[in-house]
Amino acid sequence: MHELSMAQGIINTVLETSEANDATEVKKVVVEIGKLAMINPEQLLFMMNVLVEDTIMEDAKIEIVDIPVEIECAECGHKGNGKVDEEDHYVPMIECPKCESNALRILNGQDIIVKSIEIEKPDD
Amino acid sequence: MHKVADIVIGKNIMKANKKLADKNQKNFENHGIFCVDFLGAIGSGKTAFIEDIIENTDYNIGVLAGDVISEFDAGRIEKHNVPVVGLNTGKECHLDAHLVEHGVHDLPLDDIDLLIIENVGNLICPVDFELGSHMRIVVVSVTEGDDTVEKHPLIFKGSDLVVINKIDLADAVGADTDKMVADAHKLNPNAKVIKSSLKEGIGLDEVIAAIDEFKNKS
Repeated sequence: MHELSMAQGIINTVLETSEANDATEVKKVVVEIGKLAMINPEQLLFMMNVLVEDTIMEDAKIEIVDIPVEIECAECGHKGNGKVDEEDHYVPMIECPKCESNALRILNGQDIIVKSIEIEKPDD
Repeated sequence: MHKVADIVIGKNIMKANKKLADKNQKNFENHGIFCVDFLGAIGSGKTAFIEDIIENTDYNIGVLAGDVISEFDAGRIEKHNVPVVGLNTGKECHLDAHLVEHGVHDLPLDDIDLLIIENVGNLICPVDFELGSHMRIVVVSVTEGDDTVEKHPLIFKGSDLVVINKIDLADAVGADTDKMVADAHKLNPNAKVIKSSLKEGIGLDEVIAAIDEFKNKS
Protein backbone atom coordinates (compact mmCIF):
# COMPACT_ATOMS: atom_id res chain seq x y z
CA MET A 1 0.00 0.00 0.00
CA HIS A 2 2.39 2.67 -1.20
CA GLU A 3 0.00 4.11 -3.75
CA LEU A 4 -0.20 7.36 -1.77
CA SER A 5 3.52 8.14 -1.92
CA MET A 6 3.70 7.03 -5.55
CA ALA A 7 0.71 9.26 -6.42
CA GLN A 8 2.41 12.18 -4.71
CA GLY A 9 5.66 11.50 -6.60
CA ILE A 10 3.80 11.48 -9.92
CA ILE A 11 1.87 14.66 -9.12
CA ASN A 12 5.02 16.50 -8.01
CA THR A 13 6.71 15.58 -11.28
CA VAL A 14 3.72 16.75 -13.32
CA LEU A 15 3.35 20.03 -11.44
CA GLU A 16 7.07 20.83 -11.59
CA THR A 17 7.14 20.27 -15.35
CA SER A 18 3.91 22.22 -15.84
CA GLU A 19 5.18 25.20 -13.91
CA ALA A 20 8.48 25.17 -15.78
CA ASN A 21 6.45 25.38 -18.99
CA ASP A 22 4.13 28.17 -17.79
CA ALA A 23 1.05 25.96 -17.92
CA THR A 24 -2.29 27.36 -16.82
CA GLU A 25 -3.91 23.95 -16.82
CA VAL A 26 -2.90 20.31 -17.21
CA LYS A 27 -5.27 18.57 -19.63
CA LYS A 28 -3.86 15.06 -19.66
CA VAL A 29 -1.24 12.93 -17.93
CA VAL A 30 0.08 9.62 -19.26
CA VAL A 31 1.57 7.27 -16.65
CA GLU A 32 3.17 3.94 -17.51
CA ILE A 33 2.99 1.22 -14.86
CA GLY A 34 4.94 -2.03 -15.07
CA LYS A 35 2.82 -5.16 -14.73
CA LEU A 36 5.12 -6.25 -11.92
CA ALA A 37 5.18 -2.98 -9.97
CA MET A 38 3.52 -3.52 -6.59
CA ILE A 39 0.93 -0.88 -7.35
CA ASN A 40 -2.77 -1.27 -7.97
CA PRO A 41 -3.61 1.20 -10.79
CA GLU A 42 -7.15 1.71 -9.52
CA GLN A 43 -5.96 2.65 -6.04
CA LEU A 44 -3.29 4.87 -7.57
CA LEU A 45 -5.93 6.73 -9.60
CA PHE A 46 -8.11 7.12 -6.52
CA MET A 47 -5.21 8.63 -4.56
CA MET A 48 -4.25 10.92 -7.43
CA ASN A 49 -7.80 12.21 -7.73
CA VAL A 50 -7.75 13.14 -4.05
CA LEU A 51 -4.34 14.81 -4.19
CA VAL A 52 -4.90 16.92 -7.33
CA GLU A 53 -7.72 18.93 -5.76
CA ASP A 54 -7.06 22.68 -5.97
CA THR A 55 -4.10 22.27 -8.33
CA ILE A 56 -3.87 23.08 -12.02
CA MET A 57 -4.14 19.37 -12.78
CA GLU A 58 -7.48 19.04 -10.98
CA ASP A 59 -9.40 18.28 -14.20
CA ALA A 60 -6.65 16.40 -16.03
CA LYS A 61 -7.47 13.09 -17.67
CA ILE A 62 -5.12 10.49 -16.26
CA GLU A 63 -4.27 7.72 -18.68
CA ILE A 64 -2.56 4.58 -17.41
CA VAL A 65 -0.62 2.42 -19.82
CA ASP A 66 0.74 -1.04 -18.92
CA ILE A 67 4.43 -1.81 -19.33
CA PRO A 68 4.68 -5.48 -20.34
CA VAL A 69 6.94 -7.94 -18.55
CA GLU A 70 10.24 -8.70 -20.28
CA ILE A 71 12.43 -11.51 -19.04
CA GLU A 72 15.60 -13.41 -19.77
CA CYS A 73 15.31 -17.14 -19.13
CA ALA A 74 18.24 -18.81 -17.37
CA GLU A 75 17.17 -22.24 -18.67
CA CYS A 76 16.67 -21.77 -22.42
CA GLY A 77 18.02 -18.26 -22.97
CA HIS A 78 14.74 -16.83 -24.24
CA LYS A 79 14.77 -13.05 -24.09
CA GLY A 80 11.51 -11.15 -24.50
CA ASN A 81 8.03 -11.08 -23.13
CA GLY A 82 7.35 -13.24 -20.08
CA LYS A 83 4.25 -15.40 -19.81
CA VAL A 84 2.10 -13.86 -17.10
CA ASP A 85 -0.68 -15.66 -15.29
CA GLU A 86 -2.96 -13.21 -13.57
CA GLU A 87 -5.83 -15.57 -12.97
CA ASP A 88 -5.36 -16.06 -9.26
CA HIS A 89 -3.36 -13.12 -8.08
CA TYR A 90 -3.02 -9.49 -8.69
CA VAL A 91 0.69 -10.12 -8.50
CA PRO A 92 1.31 -12.16 -11.60
CA MET A 93 3.21 -15.41 -11.69
CA ILE A 94 5.77 -15.24 -14.45
CA GLU A 95 7.31 -18.00 -16.47
CA CYS A 96 9.27 -18.42 -19.68
CA PRO A 97 6.80 -18.71 -22.60
CA LYS A 98 9.11 -21.21 -24.33
CA CYS A 99 10.24 -23.66 -21.65
CA GLU A 100 7.93 -22.68 -18.74
CA SER A 101 10.90 -22.24 -16.39
CA ASN A 102 10.63 -19.90 -13.41
CA ALA A 103 14.38 -19.26 -13.39
CA LEU A 104 14.14 -15.80 -14.90
CA ARG A 105 15.81 -12.48 -14.72
CA ILE A 106 13.26 -9.68 -14.95
CA LEU A 107 14.42 -7.11 -17.50
CA ASN A 108 11.38 -4.85 -17.59
CA GLY A 109 7.97 -4.42 -15.99
CA GLN A 110 8.71 -3.07 -12.51
CA ASP A 111 8.88 0.64 -13.24
CA ILE A 112 6.47 3.54 -12.88
CA ILE A 113 7.08 6.27 -15.43
CA VAL A 114 5.47 9.67 -15.90
CA LYS A 115 5.47 9.49 -19.68
CA SER A 116 4.00 12.78 -20.90
CA ILE A 117 1.58 15.59 -20.19
CA GLU A 118 -0.66 17.80 -22.24
CA ILE A 119 -0.90 21.35 -20.93
CA GLU A 120 -2.65 24.56 -21.77
CA LYS A 121 -0.60 27.75 -21.73
CA PRO A 122 -1.31 31.41 -22.43
CA ASP A 123 -0.69 32.80 -25.92
CA ASP A 124 2.68 34.47 -26.31
CA MET B 1 -8.16 30.14 -27.34
CA HIS B 2 -5.10 29.05 -25.42
CA LYS B 3 -2.17 27.12 -26.78
CA VAL B 4 -2.04 23.42 -25.98
CA ALA B 5 1.35 21.76 -25.70
CA ASP B 6 2.40 18.13 -25.38
CA ILE B 7 5.43 17.62 -23.20
CA VAL B 8 7.35 14.37 -23.00
CA ILE B 9 8.63 13.78 -19.45
CA GLY B 10 9.69 10.13 -19.25
CA LYS B 11 10.58 10.36 -15.57
CA ASN B 12 10.87 7.01 -13.86
CA ILE B 13 9.44 7.40 -10.34
CA MET B 14 11.29 4.26 -9.19
CA LYS B 15 14.71 5.41 -10.43
CA ALA B 16 15.19 7.93 -7.64
CA ASN B 17 15.08 5.13 -5.08
CA LYS B 18 17.33 2.84 -7.14
CA LYS B 19 19.94 5.60 -7.47
CA LEU B 20 19.94 6.19 -3.73
CA ALA B 21 20.16 2.44 -3.10
CA ASP B 22 23.29 2.24 -5.28
CA LYS B 23 24.72 5.20 -3.38
CA ASN B 24 24.01 3.47 -0.06
CA GLN B 25 25.76 0.32 -1.25
CA LYS B 26 28.84 2.29 -2.29
CA ASN B 27 28.86 3.97 1.11
CA PHE B 28 28.72 0.56 2.84
CA GLU B 29 31.56 -0.75 0.68
CA ASN B 30 33.72 2.30 1.36
CA HIS B 31 33.45 1.36 5.04
CA GLY B 32 34.09 -2.34 4.38
CA ILE B 33 30.53 -3.21 5.41
CA PHE B 34 28.49 -6.17 4.16
CA CYS B 35 24.77 -5.37 4.33
CA VAL B 36 21.94 -7.84 4.78
CA ASP B 37 18.26 -6.90 4.44
CA PHE B 38 15.72 -8.98 6.41
CA LEU B 39 12.23 -9.11 4.93
CA GLY B 40 9.12 -10.97 5.96
CA ALA B 41 5.62 -10.60 7.34
CA ILE B 42 4.73 -9.26 10.78
CA GLY B 43 5.62 -11.91 13.33
CA SER B 44 7.63 -14.10 10.94
CA GLY B 45 10.67 -13.94 13.25
CA LYS B 46 12.89 -11.27 11.70
CA THR B 47 13.81 -9.57 14.96
CA ALA B 48 14.41 -12.90 16.74
CA PHE B 49 16.78 -13.94 13.96
CA ILE B 50 18.70 -10.68 14.22
CA GLU B 51 19.00 -11.12 17.99
CA ASP B 52 20.30 -14.68 17.60
CA ILE B 53 22.78 -13.70 14.87
CA ILE B 54 24.15 -10.97 17.15
CA GLU B 55 24.60 -13.49 19.98
CA ASN B 56 26.11 -16.26 17.85
CA THR B 57 28.62 -14.59 15.53
CA ASP B 58 31.79 -12.57 15.91
CA TYR B 59 30.74 -9.88 13.49
CA ASN B 60 30.71 -6.26 14.55
CA ILE B 61 27.06 -5.75 13.87
CA GLY B 62 25.02 -2.59 13.44
CA VAL B 63 21.26 -2.65 12.95
CA LEU B 64 18.71 -0.44 11.25
CA ALA B 65 15.33 -1.51 12.59
CA GLY B 66 12.43 -0.34 10.46
CA ASP B 67 8.84 -0.46 11.55
CA VAL B 68 5.74 1.69 11.66
CA ILE B 69 6.76 2.35 15.27
CA SER B 70 10.35 1.22 15.47
CA GLU B 71 11.09 1.68 19.17
CA PHE B 72 9.79 -1.79 20.07
CA ASP B 73 12.13 -3.80 17.83
CA ALA B 74 15.00 -1.35 18.27
CA GLY B 75 14.59 -1.69 22.04
CA ARG B 76 14.86 -5.48 21.81
CA ILE B 77 18.05 -5.25 19.76
CA GLU B 78 19.60 -2.57 21.97
CA LYS B 79 19.69 -5.05 24.84
CA HIS B 80 22.31 -7.01 22.88
CA ASN B 81 24.73 -4.07 23.09
CA VAL B 82 25.05 -3.32 19.41
CA PRO B 83 24.50 0.06 17.77
CA VAL B 84 20.91 0.26 16.53
CA VAL B 85 18.89 2.97 14.86
CA GLY B 86 15.11 2.73 14.66
CA LEU B 87 13.57 3.88 11.40
CA ASN B 88 9.98 4.99 11.83
CA THR B 89 8.01 4.72 8.63
CA GLY B 90 4.81 5.99 10.28
CA LYS B 91 2.06 5.11 7.85
CA GLU B 92 4.30 3.74 5.13
CA CYS B 93 4.51 0.04 4.50
CA HIS B 94 8.18 -0.31 3.56
CA LEU B 95 11.64 1.13 4.07
CA ASP B 96 13.15 3.03 1.18
CA ALA B 97 16.71 3.93 0.27
CA HIS B 98 16.21 7.48 1.49
CA LEU B 99 15.28 6.39 5.04
CA VAL B 100 18.27 4.05 5.09
CA GLU B 101 20.61 6.80 3.92
CA HIS B 102 19.49 8.95 6.83
CA GLY B 103 19.51 6.10 9.33
CA VAL B 104 23.14 5.15 8.72
CA HIS B 105 24.25 8.67 9.58
CA ASP B 106 23.62 7.77 13.19
CA LEU B 107 25.59 4.50 13.09
CA PRO B 108 29.36 4.25 13.74
CA LEU B 109 30.08 2.84 10.28
CA ASP B 110 33.82 2.47 10.86
CA ASP B 111 33.15 0.08 13.73
CA ILE B 112 30.70 -2.14 11.81
CA ASP B 113 31.40 -4.97 9.37
CA LEU B 114 27.91 -6.46 9.14
CA LEU B 115 24.96 -4.09 8.79
CA ILE B 116 21.56 -5.71 9.23
CA ILE B 117 18.47 -3.88 8.03
CA GLU B 118 15.12 -5.09 9.32
CA ASN B 119 12.43 -4.08 6.89
CA VAL B 120 8.80 -3.35 7.78
CA GLY B 121 6.72 -6.52 8.20
CA ASN B 122 5.22 -6.87 4.75
CA LEU B 123 5.64 -9.29 1.83
CA ILE B 124 4.41 -6.93 -0.86
CA CYS B 125 5.59 -3.33 -0.79
CA PRO B 126 9.31 -3.78 0.04
CA VAL B 127 9.73 -5.54 -3.33
CA ASP B 128 9.60 -2.19 -5.11
CA PHE B 129 12.31 -0.58 -2.97
CA GLU B 130 15.93 -1.67 -3.02
CA LEU B 131 17.87 -0.33 -0.06
CA GLY B 132 21.46 -0.96 -1.10
CA SER B 133 21.95 -4.28 0.68
CA HIS B 134 24.21 -7.04 -0.71
CA MET B 135 21.94 -9.90 0.37
CA ARG B 136 18.17 -10.16 0.82
CA ILE B 137 16.80 -12.68 3.29
CA VAL B 138 13.06 -13.42 3.44
CA VAL B 139 11.74 -15.05 6.62
CA VAL B 140 8.35 -16.74 6.35
CA SER B 141 6.80 -18.61 9.26
CA VAL B 142 4.65 -21.72 8.86
CA THR B 143 1.90 -19.98 10.85
CA GLU B 144 1.30 -17.66 7.91
CA GLY B 145 -0.04 -20.66 5.97
CA ASP B 146 1.85 -22.98 3.64
CA ASP B 147 0.53 -21.14 0.57
CA THR B 148 2.26 -17.90 1.59
CA VAL B 149 5.31 -18.48 -0.61
CA GLU B 150 3.37 -19.15 -3.81
CA LYS B 151 1.06 -16.20 -3.11
CA HIS B 152 3.94 -13.71 -2.99
CA PRO B 153 6.15 -14.69 -5.91
CA LEU B 154 8.05 -11.46 -6.43
CA ILE B 155 9.51 -11.12 -2.96
CA PHE B 156 10.85 -14.67 -3.12
CA LYS B 157 12.11 -14.17 -6.66
CA GLY B 158 14.18 -11.23 -5.51
CA SER B 159 15.70 -12.91 -2.45
CA ASP B 160 19.04 -14.65 -1.92
CA LEU B 161 17.99 -16.74 1.06
CA VAL B 162 14.55 -17.98 2.09
CA VAL B 163 14.03 -19.09 5.70
CA ILE B 164 10.96 -21.21 6.51
CA ASN B 165 10.65 -20.44 10.22
CA LYS B 166 8.80 -21.84 13.25
CA ILE B 167 8.73 -25.36 11.80
CA ASP B 168 8.10 -26.69 15.33
CA LEU B 169 4.56 -25.29 14.92
CA ALA B 170 3.92 -26.85 11.50
CA ASP B 171 1.85 -29.76 12.77
CA ALA B 172 -0.18 -27.54 15.08
CA VAL B 173 -1.22 -25.26 12.22
CA GLY B 174 -1.36 -27.99 9.56
CA ALA B 175 1.37 -26.49 7.39
CA ASP B 176 3.35 -28.56 4.89
CA THR B 177 6.91 -27.24 5.20
CA ASP B 178 8.15 -29.32 2.24
CA LYS B 179 5.59 -27.59 0.04
CA MET B 180 6.88 -24.19 1.18
CA VAL B 181 10.46 -25.22 0.39
CA ALA B 182 9.42 -26.57 -3.04
CA ASP B 183 7.48 -23.37 -3.83
CA ALA B 184 10.50 -21.24 -2.94
CA HIS B 185 12.81 -23.38 -5.12
CA LYS B 186 10.35 -23.20 -8.01
CA LEU B 187 10.04 -19.42 -7.83
CA ASN B 188 13.72 -18.84 -7.31
CA PRO B 189 16.06 -21.71 -8.23
CA ASN B 190 19.06 -19.56 -7.30
CA ALA B 191 18.06 -18.94 -3.68
CA LYS B 192 19.12 -21.08 -0.77
CA VAL B 193 16.18 -22.35 1.32
CA ILE B 194 16.57 -23.23 5.01
CA LYS B 195 14.03 -24.62 7.50
CA SER B 196 14.33 -23.24 11.00
CA SER B 197 12.95 -23.10 14.50
CA LEU B 198 14.79 -20.68 16.74
CA LYS B 199 12.95 -22.08 19.73
CA GLU B 200 14.30 -25.58 19.02
CA GLY B 201 17.72 -24.37 17.88
CA ILE B 202 17.20 -25.53 14.29
CA GLY B 203 18.54 -23.70 11.25
CA LEU B 204 20.37 -20.76 12.87
CA ASP B 205 23.84 -22.18 12.10
CA GLU B 206 22.84 -22.73 8.49
CA VAL B 207 21.55 -19.18 8.16
CA ILE B 208 24.78 -17.80 9.63
CA ALA B 209 26.81 -20.03 7.28
CA ALA B 210 24.80 -18.74 4.33
CA ILE B 211 25.54 -15.14 5.34
CA ASP B 212 29.25 -16.00 5.71
CA GLU B 213 29.27 -17.67 2.31
CA PHE B 214 27.50 -14.79 0.60
CA LYS B 215 29.77 -12.27 2.28
CA ASN B 216 32.91 -14.09 1.15
CA LYS B 217 31.58 -14.31 -2.41
CA SER B 218 30.81 -10.62 -2.73
